[in-house]
Amino acid sequence: MNAAGLLSNQLVFRPFQFSMILTVWVVTVTTGTAAKRTGAMSLEEGRNFWAFSPVGDRAVPAGESNPIDAFLSPELADHQLRRAPRADKRTLIRRATYDLTGLPPTNSEVQAFLKDGSTNAFEKVIERLLASKHYGIRWGRHWLDVARYADSNGLDENIAFGHAWRYRDYVIDSFNADKPFDRFIVEQIAGDLVPHASQETITATGFLALGARVLAEKDREKLMMDVVDEQIDTLSKAFLGMTISCARCHDHKFDPISQKDYFGLAAIFRSTQSFEKGTKSTIWKVFQHSFATEEEKQQITEVNKKLGALKSAASSFQSKETVRIRGVARSKATEYLIASTMFDPSTSLEDVALIADRFDLHPRILHHCRLHLKYHQHDDFFGAWHGFAGDTNAIARHYGPLFTRAQEAFAKSYKKDPKKKTLDDPELQPAHAALYDKSGFLAVPPIPALVFDAGKLAELDRLQAAATEFESSAPDLSAAMCVGDGDVLEQMAVHVRGDHMSPGEPVKREFPAVMRWSASRPVLPAKQSGRLELARWIADTRHPLTARVFVNRVWRWHFGRGLVGTTENFGVLGDRPSNPALLDWLAHEFMKSGWSVKQLHRLIMNSATYQMASQHPDASKASSVDPANQLWWRQEIQRLDAEQIRDSILATAGLLDESMGGKTIPLRHGQFVFNHTSVDRTGYNERRRRAVYLPVVRNHLCDLFQQFDYPDPATPTGNRHSTVVAPQALFVMNSPLVMDAAESLANQILDAEFPEDSLRITEAYSRVFARPPTPVERQRAEAFLSAGSRRESWSLFCQSLLASNEFLYLN
Amino acid sequence: MSSCTSTELLNRRQLLQRSAVGFGHLAFTAMLAQANPLAPKQTPLRARAKRVVFLFMKGGPSHVDTFDPKPLLDRDHGKKPPFDLPRVTFAQQGNLLRSPWTFQQYGQSGLPVSSLFPNVAQCADDLCVLRSVHGTNPSHGGALLKLHTGSDNFIRPSMGAWVVYGLGTENQNLPAFITICPTLAHGGVNNWGAQFLPAHCQGTPLGNASLAATQATVKNIRNHRIDPWNQRRQLDLIAAMNRDHLRANGSNQALLGRLNSFELAYRMQTSMPDAQDISKESQATHRLYGINDPVTEDFGRQCLMARRFLERGVRFVQVTHSDSYVQWDQHSNLYHGHTKNAAEVDKPIAGFLRDLKARGLLDDTLVMWGGEFGRTPTAQGTNGRDHNPHGFTLWFAGAGVKGGTAYGSTDDYGYYAQEDKMHVHDLHATMLYAMGLEHTELTFRHAGRDHRLTDVHGDPAASIFT
Repeated sequence: MNAAGLLSNQLVFRPFQFSMILTVWVVTVTTGTAAKRTGAMSLEEGRNFWAFSPVGDRAVPAGESNPIDAFLSPELADHQLRRAPRADKRTLIRRATYDLTGLPPTNSEVQAFLKDGSTNAFEKVIERLLASKHYGIRWGRHWLDVARYADSNGLDENIAFGHAWRYRDYVIDSFNADKPFDRFIVEQIAGDLVPHASQETITATGFLALGARVLAEKDREKLMMDVVDEQIDTLSKAFLGMTISCARCHDHKFDPISQKDYFGLAAIFRSTQSFEKGTKSTIWKVFQHSFATEEEKQQITEVNKKLGALKSAASSFQSKETVRIRGVARSKATEYLIASTMFDPSTSLEDVALIADRFDLHPRILHHCRLHLKYHQHDDFFGAWHGFAGDTNAIARHYGPLFTRAQEAFAKSYKKDPKKKTLDDPELQPAHAALYDKSGFLAVPPIPALVFDAGKLAELDRLQAAATEFESSAPDLSAAMCVGDGDVLEQMAVHVRGDHMSPGEPVKREFPAVMRWSASRPVLPAKQSGRLELARWIADTRHPLTARVFVNRVWRWHFGRGLVGTTENFGVLGDRPSNPALLDWLAHEFMKSGWSVKQLHRLIMNSATYQMASQHPDASKASSVDPANQLWWRQEIQRLDAEQIRDSILATAGLLDESMGGKTIPLRHGQFVFNHTSVDRTGYNERRRRAVYLPVVRNHLCDLFQQFDYPDPATPTGNRHSTVVAPQALFVMNSPLVMDAAESLANQILDAEFPEDSLRITEAYSRVFARPPTPVERQRAEAFLSAGSRRESWSLFCQSLLASNEFLYLN
Repeated sequence: MSSCTSTELLNRRQLLQRSAVGFGHLAFTAMLAQANPLAPKQTPLRARAKRVVFLFMKGGPSHVDTFDPKPLLDRDHGKKPPFDLPRVTFAQQGNLLRSPWTFQQYGQSGLPVSSLFPNVAQCADDLCVLRSVHGTNPSHGGALLKLHTGSDNFIRPSMGAWVVYGLGTENQNLPAFITICPTLAHGGVNNWGAQFLPAHCQGTPLGNASLAATQATVKNIRNHRIDPWNQRRQLDLIAAMNRDHLRANGSNQALLGRLNSFELAYRMQTSMPDAQDISKESQATHRLYGINDPVTEDFGRQCLMARRFLERGVRFVQVTHSDSYVQWDQHSNLYHGHTKNAAEVDKPIAGFLRDLKARGLLDDTLVMWGGEFGRTPTAQGTNGRDHNPHGFTLWFAGAGVKGGTAYGSTDDYGYYAQEDKMHVHDLHATMLYAMGLEHTELTFRHAGRDHRLTDVHGDPAASIFT
């Protein structure tokens, strides 16, 4: 059976034959994604494709109390497989706590759960965790992956998004409040247009504003269309699991999305305002909505004034000192020409410095002077210097009086007419011009580090640092990074081959044809972009994709793999659902619950499927039948995510700061993260708040994120990787973060009152693994701790626990 | 999946033999396939080069002042340009501006080089000057991304990542792709990123543009707090714990891979600093690269490190000439700025080429030199030049390129590429061709389609090779 066969509707909706499952899986692992290319689908075929068919109201199969188990059991039975037994309680509480809060359970939480013999003990744990403020941090962060959240632009010009944090906090608050997901969708796409729009709903449209943009783009229309494309790409992947932006240049190669569909959407987003109006500078300014009061505005004016003063203090100090150095050089112009006879242009700066020293000249200026003489050997003025062939007396006799006379003549001329910059005397004018040409033979390099003396350089650094420090911590006007409505286009021309310089046939604002559930079309308002109607269309219970895509994401985030493996691609090249009936039932239940995400967690986590062990009594048989665990016969061992790793290391060491919310990027809105100066101000390693509050600087993520598969914050990600690479080991072996945490943990244990070290070892195991050590482990620890110096060995021991697989992996 | 017996579990050496994985960039999925994705691969075409080094001049060196002489600029200096300017330019432009430098012919070939590069000029017979390169974006960020990734509006894998994806690497204890002192601005990490390609393809940065070459190291490569004896016994303890855990969890490739990754990391702690240690080089070599002169020291060190990486089998090395300013970006004071910049790189580059040649490495190393764009033959202000992506110069050396030749041309004034136009996509296709890779075949399926470094474009300029 080949992959193309899977496209047949008949096959897709029949219960899966095992050979098919295997086929899908094998293709998946060998190509990196899914099925092979089959050519584009027609609109009619598309409407029959599983993902575009209405979400069915599936009957729950009989035989199991939990519907999820009931949907999965028949297939297991068909393959003579049994679900793995329930995981032990310690494993369960660890799994659930990480899953819902991103943190490890404390030892006392574990003990309480172990003691609770009631039948609903685990249900109570789930409720406790769902009510925790850390729930929003964990699940909000999942959504921030999809929303490609970042605190800086990255791409070409890396400027700080000083207001982005409000969107981040909005997302975390929304998850904590269990905001109905349909409302969450509408707010993010059209929060500025909803009735009773508020600060909260306007902030939500940050979703459309946070993309990476080419902010120094000179081609205005290209930039506008690139932004539209990024918004369509993010929106369609996030909510619809579709790669609609493939249709920018031509009809989608595989999915039934035409270029006209693309431009129907593009017209809506081209009618949306993503940049401040009237941006004239090199760097485009991202749209923002100010919430500032008059009082705040006044304060900011003061702040800006002070900043201006600090900046000009630095720059005027620099220019004054440069002018002074230039003046000194001018007063020794003849000496420079004399000293230049003593070396040739290829002489190293070190040797030039020896000569400069003798004449009390600046080596950099002298070096440059010599180069200048060579390059200008054919000019009249400097040609003479070459004519003297190194005769220093002749040079002094020629240039000395010339410079003096030129300076005197200019002083006179200046008295008469300060505006006149040249001399009329044809003999003196070239001398004057040479002396005062800032890039002439006495040019002072524009880089202070090369010409200022140490004291002046330190003073300049101090002034510049003062300005930067002040700017980095200066407040911004309260505002949200968001979108608004712009000039409304009721239609726009298709761009032939995606080129905005080649307009084709015009199309009206519309939604993609294959996903329309009604032949009667919505009327889009003439004076609004149409985003609100688009948002409501996506968040409608009749949309075939929205609920399916989201419940699949939630399944993925719980189990490590979605029912549809390709979380961002439900199209032809995406994977087919491993259990379509279950997917539809979950989507249906989700909508029926009023789009409650917390209710979805309860459904999933109370299933036997979720609570399975990661070990199976008959693993070798099960893995020979279904090696990829497509039938969900056991839980998968999963590595902690980047944030979980960092937060648990800090939490275990008692170093985690649990405060929530607020601005965390240490830069002002619009300030450069890196301009030309690649200087790092992020201070990642000193921060102790939860990882979600580390600034997400595009192009410069913190080390740990880079190593542990944090997603690229420029594209929507629903499926993080989990790689095993050696730099990760370097990180846990050598990074200050891990070593500091280990040292702190060791010190706490050593400084606590324990009658003997054996109990300290127990304490370390309880704090890191929430379990006592086995006798073998205790022995090994004792042997390790008996060598070397005591504090150091304890610190190394604690670091080893934090570096272990048991700590980093979840069963 | 294979299962592990307990004897194997207890024998670290055997474990290592079973999965000798490169600089550690071994992805879990690859382990499932039981193959090391970084193992050197056979190439579909004849591989003229085994490795690439890109000497990147950040900011945009002027082609009409370095390798593309334009006599008409001298003649028509100060006149209005007799051609149309592009629809979009970065800044406002004035009249034609002649080059402050003179060109002279060098070597057997008589290839013209300006007086900015007196040392590189001595290697003229090894250079193949590509005079008809053109890109699309007139801003630094867009142009850097275009040159490094082939795309200026989407984030795509970098060319180094593509090369590693296609070829693997020859030294499993060093990164396959190293970028020395890269700039963090203007695309930053995306210029050496892997994006959707497997993680093992991404470049490893050493330091960044604001740091001196002496401080360019891999992060966390050293432990400054504990001695080797303690670290060794700590790793043994971690391994013992991880073996117990693995045994309790049946065979799991990720757990096994992570167990091994500590040993690899331990080896890297020696192999990487060793490759970077240029104190082992002779005084003559130091002088050859200009390391004895403060002007050329920094770039000289970078070039010498690059040579040490290349000879150890690193597949792709990038060296960046950039400091805390946009180095070659002379919107004003072209003369002064380019003089300073050229003085910093001229000797190290010439030394680097000579050294590669003397060691027989030049034959199968592709050396690429250039910036993200060139500069306009028209003046910006009185004495500067604006960005020009419409026609500019890069040069290749080594890898069997026809030395002492120029490929393609710009118009009489040097504004637009004219003959044998070589778009950045063509440049990429040519680079891959030199590596024995067919650019249309080097694909990766992502987000519903097959992606290439050259997108849907690109033609290799096969004629530049012997």
